[in-house]
Amino acid sequence: MLKSFIRLPEWIWPTEKGQVVRSPFGRRLLTFLMVFGPGLIVMEADNDAGAVSTYTQAGAQYGLHLLWLLLLLLPITYFVQEMVVRLGIATGQGHAAMIYRRFGKWWGRFSLFDLQLVNFLTLVTEFAAIALALGQLGVPVYLSVPTFAFGVIMMVLTGSYLRWERITVGLCLLDAIWLGFAFIAHPRVGEVALNAVVPNLPQGGMSPDLVFLIIAVVGTTIAPWQLFFQQSCVADKRLRFSDLNFSRLDTFLGATFTILVAGAMMIVGSILYRNGLSYDDPAQMAGALVAFGGNTLKYGVLLLMVNAAVLGTTAISLASSWAYAEVMGWSHSLQKPVREAPGFYAVYVIAVAAAAGIVMIPNAPLQLIIVGVQVLAGLMLPSAIIFLQLLLNDEALLGKKFVNKSWNNWINWTVIIVLFALSAVLAVQVLIGNALPG
Amino acid sequence: MTTMPKNCEAPTFRVVHPLYDEPEEKLNPEALGPMPMTRSVRYALLALRVYLILMLALAAYRVLEMAGLFGALSH
Repeated sequence: MLKSFIRLPEWIWPTEKGQVVRSPFGRRLLTFLMVFGPGLIVMEADNDAGAVSTYTQAGAQYGLHLLWLLLLLLPITYFVQEMVVRLGIATGQGHAAMIYRRFGKWWGRFSLFDLQLVNFLTLVTEFAAIALALGQLGVPVYLSVPTFAFGVIMMVLTGSYLRWERITVGLCLLDAIWLGFAFIAHPRVGEVALNAVVPNLPQGGMSPDLVFLIIAVVGTTIAPWQLFFQQSCVADKRLRFSDLNFSRLDTFLGATFTILVAGAMMIVGSILYRNGLSYDDPAQMAGALVAFGGNTLKYGVLLLMVNAAVLGTTAISLASSWAYAEVMGWSHSLQKPVREAPGFYAVYVIAVAAAAGIVMIPNAPLQLIIVGVQVLAGLMLPSAIIFLQLLLNDEALLGKKFVNKSWNNWINWTVIIVLFALSAVLAVQVLIGNALPG
Repeated sequence: MTTMPKNCEAPTFRVVHPLYDEPEEKLNPEALGPMPMTRSVRYALLALRVYLILMLALAAYRVLEMAGLFGALSH
């Protein structure tokens, strides 16, 4: 409709006939802008409500001492997601479908069940964050949660992949406001730079609390749903073999932006560390920030928390519905109207509506759900990454062009072993408590 | 996809969005069936099974502990 009144650039709203450009540089730039999207979305959506909580808590408890950890996670998260991009472009199929077809029904169903469960519990925490943040602004839960659930559902029901992608990219870019808030915190530039590049520990050394928080930061930055989401998204967008390098660039830029935003969240949280203040939840933290940045900072942080939850909700729900529909053999594309892919959209709507419904139940066991998410994510991540690594070494499927090189494998097995150990420690810590030596 | 139109004096390139481009023939896992169980695949899946069993055992222990079973046995 809008296109018929205003002539939008081809990279914002493309047409079937495409666009003619006169220079090779123009061709590369336009192609990149058309490919751009899934990499930024998968990375920035991972800065969801739980991530806001974890990163600001890291800043509030330890100041800028954990900034180096974020920089260390940048290449790790890029390498993991790059494999997903390669697999998605090479096969044009989602991750769940690949596990099902190459590892058989048992592993396929296990991965699917595990993904659906952990995603659903994460969705509940996203809506809990929306209720918490808007509650601080005086909006009752019975108004805020259904309104946002309806909005998140409507985002995908238009039968246009591009419409959903453009809205979501816009929401991702809104997170750049965190960078502005980091300046309001007045951090010393030298201190930020030093803590970002030189690994160091806060006073008190490696305490159990610090180990737990480090594990939580790693677990927040690399989540199982991201593997499923980006591969399905790349397949749904029908990215071509020739788009691989641009898609890698999209993923790298997305990872860099996400790590910068995460660092900004940590810097905002560090205001409380410098002033010796503590809080129980991120909404309460926003209230404590009034003294340092006025109501702009308070309301800004609350609204960005809602934005983070909306991004997390749409991406995680889509990861679930793509995966379920792929395994069931249903039609599954955002480019299709509801009548052509009813099962795919039904999974999305049911997941969002049920998660929103649970949050509205008075005295729902939200703390138990948050712990459940941590444990299940700890269980899920190593298994999802192992399947990914095995699939990327599947030369019979991928051929020499897309299969992992030996340097890929060295990096990836190292990442897998580290993630395995961290996930196991997290799961043990949450399940038993006091597992770490005090 | 980019194409160079013919009969043009200056080179021009047509850039088409992936959604509107002609579909490519992708690498298809359907015909291959399940992945062959090479030594590395077997060890990786074995490690995964052991990890999952340990974690599930831990979860079961925690649930039983929360239910007060171990306390009841010691009395």
